[in-house]
Amino acid sequence: MKSILTHKNIWMTALAGAMSITSCTKDFDSMNVSPNSPTAIGPQYLLPTGIETSVDRYWGHRDRFERINIDAAELYVQHLTRNIYSNEGDDYTVSPALLSNNWKGFFNDGLLNFQRIINQTNAQSASPNANYEGVALVMRTWVFSLLTDMYGSIPYTDAIKGTGTDPIYTPKYDSMETIYAGLLNDLKTANEKLSVSGPAIAGDILYAGDILKWKKFANSLRLRLANRQAAKKPAESKAIFAEILGDATKFPIFTSNADNASLKCTTVLPSNNEWNQILIQGGRTDWNISKTLADKMNALGDTRITVYANPNKDGLYQGHANGLPDAIATGYLATSSTIGKAFTDAAAPEVIMTFADLNFILAEAAIDGDITGDAKKYFEAGITASFAQYGLTPPADYMTKAGPVSKEKVIEQKWISLFGQGVEAWIEWRRTGFPVFPAPDPRAVLNNGGVLPTRFNYPASEYSLNATAVGDGVKLNGGADDMKTKLWWAEK
Amino acid sequence: MRKVLLLFIWVCLCSPVAFAQVRQLTGKVTAAEDGLGLAGASIIYKGTNVGTNADADGNFSFSVPGDGVLVISYVGFLIKEMPIGNQTKFDIKLDADTRQLAEVVVTAFGIEREKKALGYTVQEVKGSALTESRSTNVANALSGKIAGVRVQSNGGPGSGSTIQIRGSSSVSGNNQPLIVIDGVPMEQTANKTWGGGISEINPDNIKEMSVLKGPNAAALYGSRAANGVILITTKNGQGTKGLGVDINSNISFERPWIKPNFQNTYGGGNGYRTWYNDGWSGNITDPAEIAQYRAVYDARYPLVGSEGTDESWGAPMDGRLVRQWWTGDDVAPLTPQPNNWDEYWNTGRTTTNSIALNGGNDKGYFRLGLSRVDQTGIMYYNDFHRNNFRINSGYNLTKNLSITLSGEYIKSGSDNKSYGSGQEFIWSHRHVSWAQLRDYESYMDVHNQRGNDTDPPNWQHTFFTNPYFSQKKLPQSNEKDRLLGNIALNYKILPSLSLMIRSGTDYWTDTRINVSNFLRVRNGVRTPGRFSEEVLRSQETNSDFMLTYNKNINADFGLNVQVGGIKRTNYYKRNYFYVGEMVVDGLYNAGNSVPSQNTIESEIRKSETQSLFGTANLSWRDALFLDLTARNDWSSTLPANARSYFYPSASLSAVLTELFDVKSNVFTFGKVRASYAQVGNDATPYQLAQTYLASGSWNGAVPKFSENTQIANSGLKPEITTGLELGADLRFLKGKIGLDVTYYNQTTKDQILGVEISKASGYNTRILNAGKITNKGIEISISGTPVKLPGGFSWDVSVNWARNRNKVVELAEGLTTYTLATQRGMSSEARVGQPYGTFYGVGFQKYNGQVVYGSNGLPFTAAGQKLGNIQPDWIGGMLNTFNYKGWSLSALVDVRMGGDIYDEGTGTARWTGQYAETALGREEGVIGQGVREVTAADGSKSYVPNDIIVTANQLYGYSNPRNYHESAIFDASYVKLREVSLGYSFSPALLKKVKIQSAKISLVGRNVWMIFKNTPHIDPEIDAKGGNQQGFGYGELPSSRSIGANLSLSF
Repeated sequence: MKSILTHKNIWMTALAGAMSITSCTKDFDSMNVSPNSPTAIGPQYLLPTGIETSVDRYWGHRDRFERINIDAAELYVQHLTRNIYSNEGDDYTVSPALLSNNWKGFFNDGLLNFQRIINQTNAQSASPNANYEGVALVMRTWVFSLLTDMYGSIPYTDAIKGTGTDPIYTPKYDSMETIYAGLLNDLKTANEKLSVSGPAIAGDILYAGDILKWKKFANSLRLRLANRQAAKKPAESKAIFAEILGDATKFPIFTSNADNASLKCTTVLPSNNEWNQILIQGGRTDWNISKTLADKMNALGDTRITVYANPNKDGLYQGHANGLPDAIATGYLATSSTIGKAFTDAAAPEVIMTFADLNFILAEAAIDGDITGDAKKYFEAGITASFAQYGLTPPADYMTKAGPVSKEKVIEQKWISLFGQGVEAWIEWRRTGFPVFPAPDPRAVLNNGGVLPTRFNYPASEYSLNATAVGDGVKLNGGADDMKTKLWWAEK
Repeated sequence: MRKVLLLFIWVCLCSPVAFAQVRQLTGKVTAAEDGLGLAGASIIYKGTNVGTNADADGNFSFSVPGDGVLVISYVGFLIKEMPIGNQTKFDIKLDADTRQLAEVVVTAFGIEREKKALGYTVQEVKGSALTESRSTNVANALSGKIAGVRVQSNGGPGSGSTIQIRGSSSVSGNNQPLIVIDGVPMEQTANKTWGGGISEINPDNIKEMSVLKGPNAAALYGSRAANGVILITTKNGQGTKGLGVDINSNISFERPWIKPNFQNTYGGGNGYRTWYNDGWSGNITDPAEIAQYRAVYDARYPLVGSEGTDESWGAPMDGRLVRQWWTGDDVAPLTPQPNNWDEYWNTGRTTTNSIALNGGNDKGYFRLGLSRVDQTGIMYYNDFHRNNFRINSGYNLTKNLSITLSGEYIKSGSDNKSYGSGQEFIWSHRHVSWAQLRDYESYMDVHNQRGNDTDPPNWQHTFFTNPYFSQKKLPQSNEKDRLLGNIALNYKILPSLSLMIRSGTDYWTDTRINVSNFLRVRNGVRTPGRFSEEVLRSQETNSDFMLTYNKNINADFGLNVQVGGIKRTNYYKRNYFYVGEMVVDGLYNAGNSVPSQNTIESEIRKSETQSLFGTANLSWRDALFLDLTARNDWSSTLPANARSYFYPSASLSAVLTELFDVKSNVFTFGKVRASYAQVGNDATPYQLAQTYLASGSWNGAVPKFSENTQIANSGLKPEITTGLELGADLRFLKGKIGLDVTYYNQTTKDQILGVEISKASGYNTRILNAGKITNKGIEISISGTPVKLPGGFSWDVSVNWARNRNKVVELAEGLTTYTLATQRGMSSEARVGQPYGTFYGVGFQKYNGQVVYGSNGLPFTAAGQKLGNIQPDWIGGMLNTFNYKGWSLSALVDVRMGGDIYDEGTGTARWTGQYAETALGREEGVIGQGVREVTAADGSKSYVPNDIIVTANQLYGYSNPRNYHESAIFDASYVKLREVSLGYSFSPALLKKVKIQSAKISLVGRNVWMIFKNTPHIDPEIDAKGGNQQGFGYGELPSSRSIGANLSLSF
C-alpha cells in the first residue's frame, strides 16, 4: 500500500486529473443548449403573437405611458377627453416613454415575428407555405403603415434585418414615398401569394384561417393606402384603384361587415379588450366623451352615440372640452358621458379596418376622380355599414342631416365611424384637415404651441443607437423632429 | 476530474492506520515581560487540529498522540514553537509582539497566512462584533466597519442587502461579492423581499469574517471573485476541553426611524373640500347628504365627493362636520391626525436564541450550533422565522489523516412578507386615522360604497384597498430549505507535502405563494381571487483537491506551493403557475382554478466550470514575500474555442523595518506591498444560439411563441478584470497607532453585455463582448489606542475611509450609453466618460444656479439633463470602544458622503400636498424660489428675483417627479450613529461559583441617531431595486431603529 504514495504516483495522478478535466468538457456543448426555449418553432405559434401584440398596441395597450390610442390619438381627434391627468395626452404632452415603447413594440413584438414567418415560409425556405407568407406580409404591411403614418420617414428596406446573413444594426431611413411604394407592392404580392385552395394555416386569431378574408383585407388595405397617397401620386393610385375594382375575382375586397379586419377579443384574460383592461379591470375613470364628438352626434341625431357612450345622470349624452387643466376637468367627471359598454366589454373587438371604412375610401376616390363611381352611393353605404356594425340602422332623416356628399362630409362621417380607431382618425385628420375642430376652449392649456400634433417625435433611443440614420430621417421629413412637421401625404 | 477524486479518496482510505502513543501534557503559559498567566492562550499540536486553550491563570493540560511540536500563540505575542521530546510539563514564556503584526488572516481556500506576508488587502471582522450589535442579516453589521465596503440594507423581515466592494465593475452583471463559508461558496442574492445568501447565516456561528477586496486578493477563487470575496470561518469547537455549552439570547424591538414632516392643516380631497360620498369621484344625489354638504360648503363648491382624489388639497381641518369613510350617513368633525404615521406602524420584535455545544479531545472536536430567529416587522402582519442547525466537526483518523465536516441546514420562511413599499403617506388623506382603518371590521355595516361593491371599508376606493386588509388577505409567504456543507480529507503525505480533497454543496429550495387578488365586486365589476405559486430549486456543488508543499529551503528562503483543481456545477430550476381565477376564494391549490385562466412557466439553468490552479509563495528572511498564482478555467457557457481561459497574478510585499533592521520605538513596523492580478469571467448559460420564447396563449387555447429580441452571440469570449494594488501598512509607538493605506486601479473589459441596438433592426439587444469600466480608489484605515490606563481603562479607536472613482471608458462600437434602470422616464445609465449610474432626466432651467421661472411664475424645464450620480464621494466609519474592568461601551458612526437618489415618493408627496411645506400659503398663494426671466423689447433676456404669486398646488405640481425628475433628486449623504452597545462581563471569580465560564450581558441600539442628512422627510439610505439598479425609491419601507438586549453564557 505504501508504494502507491510515491512521488511518481502522485504526479501521475495529478496529471491524469488535468487530462480528465479537458476531456470532461466534451459535454459542455450539449449542456449549454437551452432546455427552456426552442431554437426553431413553427409559424402557427409566431402568428398569434404578432397579431395580438400589434393590434393590442394599436388599440390601446394596457400599460400607462404606452397607450397611443387613448392617451394620444383618441384625444387629439376629440373622440375622448380627459377628466384628470390632462398632461397624459389631452394637452398634447407626450411622454418620452410612449414614443419609445411604441416604436420598440411595433418593431420587436410585431414586425420581427411577421418577418420570421416570411423567412420560414417563403419560396426559398425549407418549408414554403404561401398562405403563411401572404398573411405575414399583410400584417407586416399594416404595421409598417402605422409606423410611417405616425412617425414619418422610418427604416423600411433595411429594417428587421438584425439576424440576416449581412445583419443590419443601424438601418437607414426611407422616405414615406419609398415606403408607400413598397407597401402597396407588398400588398399586391400578398394577394398573389394568398390562395383559397392553398395550404391551410393555423394560429390565425384574426380570420380563423379564412384565406378569402385575408385576400379581401389585403386588397382593401391596398385601397386605403392608395387613397392616402392619391394627392401625391395620382397616376399610381388611379392604376391601383382600377386594377382592384376591375377584377373582383382576382382582387376580392370587403363586401360586408362580416369581412371586417378586427381582433375578436375574449373574456379569457389577458385576451380581453385593452380598454376593458384599463377601464373595467383596472377601474380607471379618467376618460369621458369629448364635447366635440358629442355635440356633432347630437346635432346629427346620430344614434351610434348610444353605443359609443353612456348617458349622464340627466340621461343626456354630453362631453366636455379637450385640454382642460385638471382642476377644471375634474368638475366634469360627474356630468360628462363615459365610454359605452360596446367598447369596454371584455370581448369588445379591436378594429383594424371595416366595410364602412372601405366605402368612405371609395366615396372620396369618386369625389377626387380617382375612380368613376357614385360618391353618394358609397357615402351612404359607408354610413349604413357603420350603423350596422353596431346593430343599428340610420334614422330616416340621417342621410339628409349628414349633408350632400363632399370630401369634408365623407371625412366627417369617417371620423364618426372611426370611434375607437383613434390612430386611423388622426391620420385622416392630418391628411385632409377634416373634420374642422372647434377652436379650443378658452380655459384649455395646450402644449406643443397649441398645435394639434402632426406626428410623433422619433424616440430618444434612435438618437443614441442609430444617430446618423435618424438624422437623415429628419431631413427626409423636411422639417424639425417635432410634433408640428407635416407628413408627406398631408393635403392641407 | 471525478476519476481523480475517487482515486484520491481510495488512496486515503486505504492508507495504513497507525495509532501512535498518547501522552498527557500540562503546563502554564505566561508573558515573558511580567510573568502573568495568559488566559485563553492557544496550544496546538502542530500539523493537526489537536489543541487546547489555557485557563484563566494560563494553565493547560491536554493529550497528544505522540512526539511532535507544540505551537503556542496569543494575541499580541509572538508565536512560539516548542518540540515535545520527552517533556510532559511545560513552562512557556511568550514574548510580546510589539509590532502586533503576527496576526494570522484567512485567505483564499481558507489558508491561514501571516498578514505581513500578503501583498494585498484583507480586512477582518471578529464574530463578536457581529453578534452583539445584532442585525438578523449579518451583512448589515458590516456597514461602516470595513474600508471600501458599502452595504445597502433594504427592507423588512428576512430581506437581503446589496453589498458592494470597491464600486461596480460590471456594467450589467452581478456586482455582489462571492460569499465563501468554510471554503465553500454560498450563493449570494440581494433580493429585497426574499433575501438569500449571507442574510440566512446565523451570526452566532461565525468565528470571523475576512473581506478580500478586488481581484488581487481573490485570484484563486476565479471568475466570481472579481467583485471581492467575503470569507466566513465558522466556530468549530477546536481547542475545547471536554464539553462546553454556549448560550446566547437576544431580544430587540424596532420602530420606524425617520418620520416625515407632515402638514396637519388641510384634509384629504381637492379644491378645499373634504367629503366622503362613496369612495369614488361622483355626484352627491341624496337630498339628506346634499343638506349636510351645503351646511359646510356653499354653492361655489360642486356637489361631488372629494375622496376619489387621493391627495390632501382638501378642507382645513377645523372641526367642520363632514362625511368620512367611517361615518356612514352621518357627519363627524374633521380633525387633524398628526400621529397617524405612528399609528400606522407596528412595533417590530426580533428574538434570537442560540445554543451551541462544543467538545474536543486529542482525536477530534465538534461544535453543534442551533438557533431560532422570530421576527415581526414594523408593517403589521409581516413576519419571518429562521432555524439554523450547524455542525462542525473534525477527527484525526491517523496521525497523518484527518477529516473535517461542516454542514448547516437552514429552514426559514414567512407567513407574510408582502410589504416592500407603500404609498399610504404619498397618495393619501391627511385626516385619516390608521388605527381606525386597521379596525375596518367594525365599520362593515356603516361604511358606504357604490352599489353592491364588496371592498373592505377604506378611506377611498378608486385607487386603493385598505392596506391592513391587503396585508392580511393577500400574503406573500414562503418556505425555504437550505443545506450547505462540505466534507474534507487532509492527508499529510510527507512532513512538507499534504493533500486536501473536498466536496461541498449549497442546495436550496424555496416555495413562494403570492396571493394577488381576493374575490370582490368593485365599481360593479367582479374580479376573482388570484394567486401564484413558484417553486425554486438551486444547487451549486464544488469539488476540489489541493496539494500543498511547504518547506524552508534554507534559513533564508521559505517556499510554499499549492496546486489543485476544482469542478463546479450549477443547477437552477423554476416552476411557476398563476391561477387567474380561483373557483373557491381563499383556497390556494392549483386544482382550484378555471383552467383557461391559468399560466404555467418553467425554467432550467445548468452550467459547469472546471479549473486548474497553482500558487507559489516565496519568502526571504521573513521580510520579502512573493506570491504567484495562475489559474485556468474551462466554462460550459462559452463557445468551444473560447471556453478555456487563463489568468495570473503576482504580489510582492516587503517588511521595511525588517529589511533595513529598523529598531525604533516610534516607527515600529513598516510594510509596503504591490500586486497585479487578472480574473476571467464567463457568461450566463444559453447566450450562444438564437431562441424562441413561450409567451402564453390566446384565449387560453392558442399557444404563442415569439422570437427572442436579444441576438445571441456564438463567438463570445470571457470577460477579464485586471487589478493593480499598492499599499502600505505602518505601525507607530509600539503598535499603539496603525495606519493602512491602499491604492487600487481596476479595469474590467470585454464585458458580456446585452447591448441595445436600434429597435428598427427588429431586435432590442445584442449579446456582445463590450465595455470597459475602471474603478480607482483609496482606502485608509487607522487604528489606535489613545488611552490605556493601568487601572484597566482603555479607549480604542478605529477609523476607515474609502473613496472610489468609477468611470465607463467604453461600451460597444458606436454605443455611448447603457441604461441600468429607468423609472418614470428618469434613467440611471452607464455612459461613456461618465461614472457608472449617472441620472438623466428632465431638469429645471438654471441661471447662476437658481431655478428660472417664466412670466407665469412657473419654472422652465429642460429634457435630457444630467441630474446626479448614485455613487458616493466617499464612505467611512469610526468605531470607538471603551473598556473598564468588565464594562465595555462601543459606538459606531457610519458615514456616506455624496451620491444621489431619485426618491419619487418625496416629490410625489409634495405634489399631493402631504408635507408641511405645502401647507404654507395655500390660501394666499406662493412664490417659487429662484429668478424670473424678463425678455426686453430687443429680445435680450435678464433675470430678476421671481415675484409672481401662484397657487400652492400649481407650484407643487412641479414637484411631480413623473414629469420633472429633478424635483425628486436628493443628495444621499448621511452621518449615522449606527450602533451603540454597552456590555458587562461578569467576573470569572464570581462565575466560577455557579460553574459558568463566562457571562456577558449587553444593551444594543441600531440606527440610534441621524447626525446629519440632506434629504427632507426620509432616510436617504433607500434602495427600491437593488443590485445594479440602485438609487431609486418610491414609498420604501422606512428604516427602523432597534433597541435590544443580549445575554451570552458559556459553561
